[in-house]
Amino acid sequence: MAEATPRVSLKGIAKSYGETIALAETNLEIAAGEYVVLLGPSGSGKTTLLSILGGFVEPSGGRVWIDGSDVTDLPPARRPTATVFQDYALFPHMSVSANVAFGLAMRRLARAQRLRKAEEMLALVGLKGFGERGVHQLSGGQRQRVALARAIAVDPAVLLLDEPLGALDLGLRRQMQEELVRLQRQLNATFVHVTHDQEEAMSIADRVVVMKDGRIEDMGSPSRVYLKPASLFTARFMGENNLIEGQVIGSVNGQAAVDTVLGRLLVDQPAAAGEKVHLALRPEQLRFSAELGAQALGDAEIIEFSFQGTHFRVHCRLAGRELMARVPAEGPPMAGEMLPLYARAGDLVLLRQ
Amino acid sequence: MRAQAKVIRWTDGVALLYFALALLFIFLPVGSLILFAFQDGLAPVPPFKGPTLQWFDKVLHNRRLMEALWNSVLVGGVSSLVATFLGFLAAFSLARRDWRFARGAQLLLMAPITVSYLIIGMGLQITFNMMGVDRSLLAVGIGHVVINLPLCFAIVYSQLGEHQANIERAARDLGAKEWQVVALITAPMLWPTLLAAYFIAFTLSWDEFVIAFLLSRFDVTLPVVIWGLLRSGLSPELNAAGTLVFAISVAIVLAVELLLWRGRKAVANG
Repeated sequence: MAEATPRVSLKGIAKSYGETIALAETNLEIAAGEYVVLLGPSGSGKTTLLSILGGFVEPSGGRVWIDGSDVTDLPPARRPTATVFQDYALFPHMSVSANVAFGLAMRRLARAQRLRKAEEMLALVGLKGFGERGVHQLSGGQRQRVALARAIAVDPAVLLLDEPLGALDLGLRRQMQEELVRLQRQLNATFVHVTHDQEEAMSIADRVVVMKDGRIEDMGSPSRVYLKPASLFTARFMGENNLIEGQVIGSVNGQAAVDTVLGRLLVDQPAAAGEKVHLALRPEQLRFSAELGAQALGDAEIIEFSFQGTHFRVHCRLAGRELMARVPAEGPPMAGEMLPLYARAGDLVLLRQ
Repeated sequence: MRAQAKVIRWTDGVALLYFALALLFIFLPVGSLILFAFQDGLAPVPPFKGPTLQWFDKVLHNRRLMEALWNSVLVGGVSSLVATFLGFLAAFSLARRDWRFARGAQLLLMAPITVSYLIIGMGLQITFNMMGVDRSLLAVGIGHVVINLPLCFAIVYSQLGEHQANIERAARDLGAKEWQVVALITAPMLWPTLLAAYFIAFTLSWDEFVIAFLLSRFDVTLPVVIWGLLRSGLSPELNAAGTLVFAISVAIVLAVELLLWRGRKAVANG
């Protein structure tokens, strides 16, 4: 298959405000039809990257390409992008349908066509029949949907979503996440979505781009980024993780042996002897028997635990280290009880500093 | 526990008395002006004999007063429109453009608020003299734009926050050109603010005497005519004219309050 032109291509994009670097030189390609989530804490540069893509912030360096043409110098109005703003930014003096049809009016579409398309978009986001209402009469979730309908009405090549669900309560947020994914599949559109919520990122993204301090730390499918994080930061940021410091003794057959406080552990990744590394292991990857060649870590003392429905979340101590484990719901633990722990070489992730 | 609100202290009585005296102090002049507008007699002094509407009838048939009233409406209406329009453009530009002298420009624009009307009037008289502009209603109107522009600017500027900026960004993102953003989004979004600025400018122009006196000659505004009549002695007719001026001011102030209240309600719901 021939390499298709990427929908979006950011080449050497950087942004600094005086001495402060908001975004270090960054390269990113996004394929058509992809749902990309930019994930990171505040100040990580994710919103800056999105604003540069939308044309609201001028990069200090680099070029932005969309569908093979350079749009770096184009204002937002002339880019094939549309943005869903965090505060929705609906036009308060217009009806819902006038809001949705605004972009079409700017494109000089005839009134009848405009209204038909607006009605269509509203139906798509589940607001059929809301066209005549004023923006003030809507709930937060409904405004969110209007903002979405208004942006997709202009058939953007790329839809940019700036923390679109940040203001919604948890239940509504989960529901909107599913709807965003459904909408994106249905329209076969390209979505770039900014959030600091790692659960949100994992549940909706085709590809997660983890950012920190103006740099891309890691990038890949949610399962890859979760299970095999490429950096210490990613391992910590994406959910709970047990991190164990160690030093590499040597590598054989693509497996490294690492000396840690929990003893010598084998990892399915090569590393140079003498290297100081961290080993990461998810709580759910800690095992309680030697099945499938898991290596013994020792007996850990249970300190405390809490019931989570599907499992017990167990806080335990081994060789002076605190570890987090998950015990199946049918075998309730006891505080003070000793828990034998095992880890498979394939589950451990070797991370350099 | 005892409800504290039920306890009445003697200090409450003193406070109430003080409040009543303060109100009396503020409203006695206006109250007596209005009362003696209904005086059935030739002198607007106690004792009150009346009431009668004859003085209002006389005012409404006084050609000079009515002409002046129309002049005041004209000067106020047009100068406030210009002041609001220019103030809006200045506020929009300074709030939205990332200009390093924006703060300085803002202070410069607001500076006339601190200058007395007498000084501004004298300055304008000298300037118009040099430029060969005659004293006229036009000159008065220009003077009123000078004093009201800073106020209109300040009122509109205070309403152009980051949320509004984001709404304008959304419009640009959807393809609106700059003039479309201003005409279709910013101005309609701010209409309660713009109307409030207009009416506040109008009331100030409506009441303004010093500049109107210094810059007018044959056609004069209402405060100038009333001042002229005052010189020939007190008459209930003047009280009636003053009462009308006051009533119109109050009506406009109430309209502004209503607009701002509705604007706040819309924002609270937004």
